[in-house]
Amino acid sequence: MIFIPDRGDDGQVEHIYREKTDRRILKKNPWRDIRLHGTVLVLVIIAELIGTITIPITKDVAITIMPLIYTIILGLAFYLIKPIKWIHRRQARIAEGAMMLFIGVLIAKLAISSGQSIGLIFEMGPALILQELGHLATILVLPIALLLGFKKEAIGMTNSIGREPNVAVVVDKYGFNSPESRGVFAIFIIGTVIGTIFISFLVTFSLSFLPLHPYAFAMASGVGSASMNAAAIGPTLAAFPGLETQIEAFAGFSNLLSFCVGIYIVIFIALPLTEKIYNWLEPKIGKEAIVKAQEEEE
Amino acid sequence: MPDLIDGTENVSVHGILNWILLLIIFSIITVIGNYLGYKHPMTDSLIGMAILSLITLAGVWMERELPLNVSSILYISVIGIILAFPGMPTSEFVLKYVSQVELLSIVTVFLAYVGIGMGKSWDEFKALGWRAIVITILVIAATYYGAAIVAHIVLVLTGVPAA
Repeated sequence: MIFIPDRGDDGQVEHIYREKTDRRILKKNPWRDIRLHGTVLVLVIIAELIGTITIPITKDVAITIMPLIYTIILGLAFYLIKPIKWIHRRQARIAEGAMMLFIGVLIAKLAISSGQSIGLIFEMGPALILQELGHLATILVLPIALLLGFKKEAIGMTNSIGREPNVAVVVDKYGFNSPESRGVFAIFIIGTVIGTIFISFLVTFSLSFLPLHPYAFAMASGVGSASMNAAAIGPTLAAFPGLETQIEAFAGFSNLLSFCVGIYIVIFIALPLTEKIYNWLEPKIGKEAIVKAQEEEE
Repeated sequence: MPDLIDGTENVSVHGILNWILLLIIFSIITVIGNYLGYKHPMTDSLIGMAILSLITLAGVWMERELPLNVSSILYISVIGIILAFPGMPTSEFVLKYVSQVELLSIVTVFLAYVGIGMGKSWDEFKALGWRAIVITILVIAATYYGAAIVAHIVLVLTGVPAA
């Protein structure tokens, strides 16, 4: 994990990525799982053969569905659909571990685009840095969480996008069994399952309807999660042909900033701010707690 | 979520071999997809993937061997940026081959693994209830729009033309 200040009590949360990857990769000879890699190959071939589909909505507005959406949805479907017997929990665990390694290839490709356009990145420095503060907009969701009946969970849920580094920060500050940690875990799990698919539709939709600067879309796709970043870049690249290198450079660099600067924004600004607003707002609009009811459902 | 936190294990030669073989498999699948989707010559894109895999390997190795508490993502980014830096002796070679691998080809393969991997969280996901799903969707949208709007305002104020 990146630069998480060691607070002493919960040291083992620091290296979520690393330990998960190591455990999976060292123990299981993951390359040997032909069923998994063969399935991925078939999914990729199917996806590339279908290619990008453009659905025109009005004269100027179109929704593009790209091969990356097919592979992620088919991958999930292969795991969930019963008749497919060769993709099980074991394959999913290996896929998850392998994925942590493959993030590196993705990051390397983005880094090379960044290096190539390093001059441009310095030129756009102010925008790149300031847009990291835009991530604080998640706190706007806090009142809605309170209205839906969340209590202290809401602090964990709305202080950030709730990916691995954010989970580590919240667990580090509040402890593993706190309501705040339950909240950030919920966002983490749901984000894992639907985040990537959701953001790719969100971006496709926004590209059609919001007249923002192409670089703004590129920078915004660096939300601090490699898979969401990847899913968000796809439609952005397709929407602005000819700007590929710049978009990759900004998207990659902004995601990098989200990882290393973003974590400090969460620690020093977002979390304290979320807590303050919670303490002020909760007595005013807080509803009856729903967490007990939720536990019974489980 | 006990799955998030595991015990520690140290890197071994065996581990590195596993990483290399995984990266080779990943490269081959990506090159096939890259050929089908973009018709880039397979040998060139295979060299491109080899470069990217070596950078990854170096970054992952440094994360585990160097005493700094820094993520491999940072090492990989720094190595990539330096290799492609204009004026570096490596930049021409690296750019020639890496440009043959489309980012989207990598993403398509990567997300196939993500899709299969996230199936594992499906049961936990179902147990969480619609309220948490609503909040997650809003949080992701807020992060994206927050950054996009701030970036747009700064770009317009600093007079960056829309290319």
